[in-house]
Amino acid sequence: MPTHTPSRSTPSSRPAAAEAHPSPLVVADALSTLLRTTATEPRTDPQLEALTLAVAADLPVLLWGEPGIGKTAALTQLAATLDLPLTTVVASVHEPSDFSGLPVVGDDPAAQGVPMAPPDWAVRLVRAGRGLLFLDELSTAAPAVQAALLRLVLERRVGALRLPPDVRVVAAANPPSSAADGWELSPPLANRFVHLQWTHDHEVVVRGLGGTWPRATLPRLDPEKLPEAVDFARRAVCGLLSARPKLVHQLPSTETRRGGAWPSPRSWETALRLIAFATAASTSREVLSLLVRGAVGDGPGLELLASLDRMDLPDPEDLLADPAGAVLPERGDLRQAVLDGVVAAVRRHPDRSRWDAAWALLVRAVETGAPDLVVVPATTLATLRREDWDVPASIERLAGVVSLSRRADRAAARVAAVPAQAGR
Amino acid sequence: MNPSAPGTLDLDKLFAARLQAARARPYLATALFALHPVASRQVSTMAVDPHWRCYVSPAFVDRTPVEELAGVWVHEVSHLLRDHHGRSDRVARERGLSGPGERLRMNIAADLEINDDVFGDGLVRPEGAVEPRSLMLPEGQLLEDYLRQFRLGPRLQHLAWLDCGSGADGLERAWDLGPDGAHGLSAQERDAVRFRVAQGINGRPGSAPRGWRRWAEEAFQPPQPWRELLGAAVRSATSGPGVGEDYTYGRPARRSAGVPGAVLPSLRRRPPRVCVVIDTSASVSDAELGGALREVAAITRAVGGRRDLITVLSCDAAARFVAPLCRDEGIGLVGGGGTDLRTGFAKALRTRPRPDALVVLTDGRTPWPSTRPPCRTVVGLFPRQHTSRPGDDEDDPEYVPDSPPEWARVVVIGSPAPGAR
Repeated sequence: MPTHTPSRSTPSSRPAAAEAHPSPLVVADALSTLLRTTATEPRTDPQLEALTLAVAADLPVLLWGEPGIGKTAALTQLAATLDLPLTTVVASVHEPSDFSGLPVVGDDPAAQGVPMAPPDWAVRLVRAGRGLLFLDELSTAAPAVQAALLRLVLERRVGALRLPPDVRVVAAANPPSSAADGWELSPPLANRFVHLQWTHDHEVVVRGLGGTWPRATLPRLDPEKLPEAVDFARRAVCGLLSARPKLVHQLPSTETRRGGAWPSPRSWETALRLIAFATAASTSREVLSLLVRGAVGDGPGLELLASLDRMDLPDPEDLLADPAGAVLPERGDLRQAVLDGVVAAVRRHPDRSRWDAAWALLVRAVETGAPDLVVVPATTLATLRREDWDVPASIERLAGVVSLSRRADRAAARVAAVPAQAGR
Repeated sequence: MNPSAPGTLDLDKLFAARLQAARARPYLATALFALHPVASRQVSTMAVDPHWRCYVSPAFVDRTPVEELAGVWVHEVSHLLRDHHGRSDRVARERGLSGPGERLRMNIAADLEINDDVFGDGLVRPEGAVEPRSLMLPEGQLLEDYLRQFRLGPRLQHLAWLDCGSGADGLERAWDLGPDGAHGLSAQERDAVRFRVAQGINGRPGSAPRGWRRWAEEAFQPPQPWRELLGAAVRSATSGPGVGEDYTYGRPARRSAGVPGAVLPSLRRRPPRVCVVIDTSASVSDAELGGALREVAAITRAVGGRRDLITVLSCDAAARFVAPLCRDEGIGLVGGGGTDLRTGFAKALRTRPRPDALVVLTDGRTPWPSTRPPCRTVVGLFPRQHTSRPGDDEDDPEYVPDSPPEWARVVVIGSPAPGAR
């Protein structure tokens, strides 16, 4: 699905052609040209944005998707947007030596050694100095070919040749469920890629067949934000990994996870890089979620995102310092997490003024949101009271919470009183 | 209709019910609190949309006791956690189901999936909640399964009012605020909430019923059809480096012509030898065995194995016989009674020439060899005993068989992905 407009030099105009009985192929060409005439439009497409960002961050990307849903088309388009020449190599029809180099015997092998000659596409890539290398059908490549690809993907070496740094690598694979004759990706190779699930968006396909395809835009990195982005990414990853050391390295164990992303120091570094790029480009959480889960796998990726969410929450100490000006999150579950955090902070360093401030915060929470969220934090906070601390006057404004809690208690008691509720 | 005048919605009662629900089901608290209630006079009871808003009828809150409202809260949040709208859409696409009648059926099927183990134990079953039993259907199945087992008709007329909203069946409702409305959760936020709930359940598996534990295990690991998984496992076991293939100088490489003077090795493959060990103890049914065995044979042929290279060994307490697989129907399975697969392993490995891969089909109720066999092992596991649900008649529900060892690749057989069939 090329996106260029047709060349102006269309074959001879129709009346003249009709006179001269044009060859059927000329008319067919004219029709093909018309069909190729497509326009592009900017459109928010998280998967395209994720792909573009990962390519910008110079990380190898692996697109997983059913055959025929436009992976190649997306790549063609991305190459056009980034103005990079596209080189497509279908991995499954190659031999290992095509990626590790073919031995060429010279005059005196004992003195000169046997150089490993690279294939022509690699030579052309090096000559161009830049480009988008697309390794198609990676999952149907035999294990030995995959092993040879390891070096290409990681070290960018093809035989004796080193690909220039401006070459970006993107690969595509069909999921095991649709590739009947496929091998799964070996864990070392899988670990080097950012895995993106490529699905087709019904609307995009319909609009595209109508002549308008979405356009990828290069993420604009804000130069002002770079140090902040690096700091944020490091804090996010290190914060999570120091709390959850088990997440650092986990080889995939279940069958469904094989061949996909899994956490290792290498893929965590990838994740860190992606967070920094996403932060500097101010991309949405949606896109960052795709990228991080694609780098370290769903479970660890979601944990990382959850800890990013927690990093976004207001700091309990800030809230305690200024309860009157506190802004609590709207969403109930986040609000409760903040209030729990405040109570935990008071428990860590109990002192009278902090205890009072926490009550003020709870009152504020009741006045601005759902009261049931406040029950647990209030109960816990009450247990932290020391003998010489007077109950603050504001606590009366929590009376509604107490009655709410009692109401729930009574309902629970009524449930318990009904004998043998539906068996279990 | 205008959804204004929400002043009549008794929020205190609604929140007291949510609090009771969160106390009865602590592992769902995050999800319950993430739901945003919206007063709406258009809904008859309570309904959810895919963006985690909960539309509540003020009149329904007024006439319903707190403890029943708590049950409805849990019911509605279950629709969202279990992604019923996404799954309904998928089923509708795959099976070509369209029309409001079909969506009502999906809503009912989704309710059946939830209701069989969501109530009780501190939660009242709301009046009129539809259960598998009332439709004479078995418990413990998924939306996709229930959907093919009942039709709308006079018998279900009393369910026609049932409406849990677009969050339950994927069909947009008139009252929905849509993706851009206030207080909606983005896809990433929804995933985060579902993840936290799943983590909570996995962290303390004892406190949640089996249905929820199964959900938590699979929430972020969508199960794949076992045929593909078994195929991938066998293919990888028989075609991995070092199995049945090697470089050889015995015949010229096809590239030799291009590099005169160099002697290149050529890659030579010999078809892999696969030994299938079949657990024929009484607990595995013939139909299951037959199906799985046919799969293994087909897969092995697909990777280049010839029929004469596949041997089949049936094994209960003792390994009975080893036979080449010559015809699909020509496999005699002897056995019954208890299982000790260790004899099967030993016998399979004693065959000459030695197999490149072992495929073991079993229900897992067996002792396993203590050491890793010298070839790749794929275990096809019949899942009944492990995922038995309440209501299954188990002799000893506490009995937990040894799980297959680390060195084997385990594929659970007979667990299709929701909506995959």
